[in-house]
Amino acid sequence: MTERTITHVPSMPSGPANLADILERVLDKGIVIAGDIKIDLLDIELLTIRLRLFVSSVETAKKAGIDWWETDPALSTRAHRAAVDEENTRLRKRIAELEGGEDTGRAGREDPGGERVKEVRSR
Amino acid sequence: MTRPLPGAVVTPGGHPATTTATATYVFAVCHGCDPAVLTGLAGQAAGAPVRLLRFGSLEAVVQDVPAEMFGEEALRERLANRAELEHCARAHHAVVAAAAGRAPTLPLPLATLYLSDERARAALCEDENRFRSVMGRIAGRVEWGVKVYAAPGRPPPTRPERTGPPAPAAAPTTTTLTATAPPETTTAARTGTRPGHAYLDRARGARRAREERQEAGLNAAASVDRALRDIAVAGRRLRSHDTGVTGAGRVQLLNAAYLVEKGREADLIGAVELLRTSPGYERVELEVTGPWVPYSFVDGGDLDADQ
Repeated sequence: MTERTITHVPSMPSGPANLADILERVLDKGIVIAGDIKIDLLDIELLTIRLRLFVSSVETAKKAGIDWWETDPALSTRAHRAAVDEENTRLRKRIAELEGGEDTGRAGREDPGGERVKEVRSR
Repeated sequence: MTRPLPGAVVTPGGHPATTTATATYVFAVCHGCDPAVLTGLAGQAAGAPVRLLRFGSLEAVVQDVPAEMFGEEALRERLANRAELEHCARAHHAVVAAAAGRAPTLPLPLATLYLSDERARAALCEDENRFRSVMGRIAGRVEWGVKVYAAPGRPPPTRPERTGPPAPAAAPTTTTLTATAPPETTTAARTGTRPGHAYLDRARGARRAREERQEAGLNAAASVDRALRDIAVAGRRLRSHDTGVTGAGRVQLLNAAYLVEKGREADLIGAVELLRTSPGYERVELEVTGPWVPYSFVDGGDLDADQ
């Protein structure tokens, strides 16, 4: 049995099976029977995650609010993503404050950057 | 995979194995396999042939492998190496695929090992009934993999940035808002609108557009899954692959496996082709792989259960 990847023309297979397709089958699937030598496939699973072969399902990621859709792979470490999220939240809050402040005359009072923002606006 | 054996492989009698000791690696269980199809396969170890081990009314596809390379520690170490992992996975799969080419075959996961043929046979015999029943379910059927990707092309953005919320603004913000104001801020100021509001509107718009694209993509993926389950005997969702594997910007919306009667493969491929050219599928790519030995359908009870 030879697997092929068919991307564009279904009648013409375009390439051999890729490693991710094989790994997800030989590590995760197959009929399990108890062996003598314990090899913890969970360890290997962790390894594959470390190799960035898999992520959780799209639905799970979506539920968790992960911006999977357009996330740059280079930014996809959790730590970095959290840092960016935090920064974004902070920025949104600040902008909302500034917007509100324009009407009430409290523009950016808590923030030294506020005065400079007013400068830009007054041009 | 139940008995932890710390460090070196120890024989049942408790005597440490010598360096020339071998373990029995089991690739698959099959029924009526022709030993000729295994000839010349490298398997997991050079030198030892891949062979059949009869048990009850079935056979296991096995190989003698050096015990020192397949102990718990050694295996963990080797499989932690990406090249070794790939080598072992492909070797395992090659043997499974060769056996399945001629006879009903149940693939075992990577690295199912016994201290001897006798111990392997004893364990396999215990599960003979289960093997026979699963073999009945997959006989004459093959697995096809179908993936749906979000097409990398995006609609013209309202502004030239990848993410809606202030992605580049993750750069020093106070500075951005000073005299070296970004063009859009200046423009907004000139036209009399409030730049913060304009920014928030843009951010909201980009977010809405992104959510709509996500929704459309997921809907397309869901309808692909529905359509193929009508043709397949069973379907299962697998975990989506990371963009590190699929390529940047190529988000996998569906990764599924379908168990299909051998005569209906053309129906499955035809259905995928029909979907591919249907309205609503312009923004997704479909990929089919197969035919696979039904790895995804040999374990667990209910064939129709989603993962």
